[in-house]
Amino acid sequence: MAETILNLAVIIIMIAIGLGIYRLVKGPTVVDRVIALDLLTLIAIALIVMIALVTSRFIYVDVALVYGLLSFLSVLAVARYLEKGL
Amino acid sequence: MMTLLTLVLCIGILISALLATYLERRVAAVISAGLVGLFASVTYVILSAPDVAMTEAAIGSGITTVIFLFALSKTKEQPDE
Repeated sequence: MAETILNLAVIIIMIAIGLGIYRLVKGPTVVDRVIALDLLTLIAIALIVMIALVTSRFIYVDVALVYGLLSFLSVLAVARYLEKGL
Repeated sequence: MMTLLTLVLCIGILISALLATYLERRVAAVISAGLVGLFASVTYVILSAPDVAMTEAAIGSGITTVIFLFALSKTKEQPDE
């Protein structure tokens, strides 16, 4: 039961990665691509936690923790650059 | 399942690298180059190397984007439209 639910969640996350890549390729402005970067970062954090659950190795959660602490930095830098302030 | 997931992530790395090469706006190219590091980090976790993934997440995707944007804001000779 739990195995089925985890596999279903991984499939849903893969569909979400496809949608984020579609917005990254299609997006006409830079702001769309920044939003795609933020979205794909959140999806990657969820995917790392899901891999830790599937493989039962909970040291992988630390990677998601470091990623969540540092992921705001690039979006913040792009926002400051678009405002001509960096 | 993990094989399919690795395939999807490698296709993501390929598309991001091609976008970083072919995009006209340089800020969008920097964003795509950061996404290569993001997908590579998740791939390192799948290949059971969490320390490499942690370093890649900190340096490859976090600091490199900030340094590229800082260098772009210093160069003013060819302004992007």
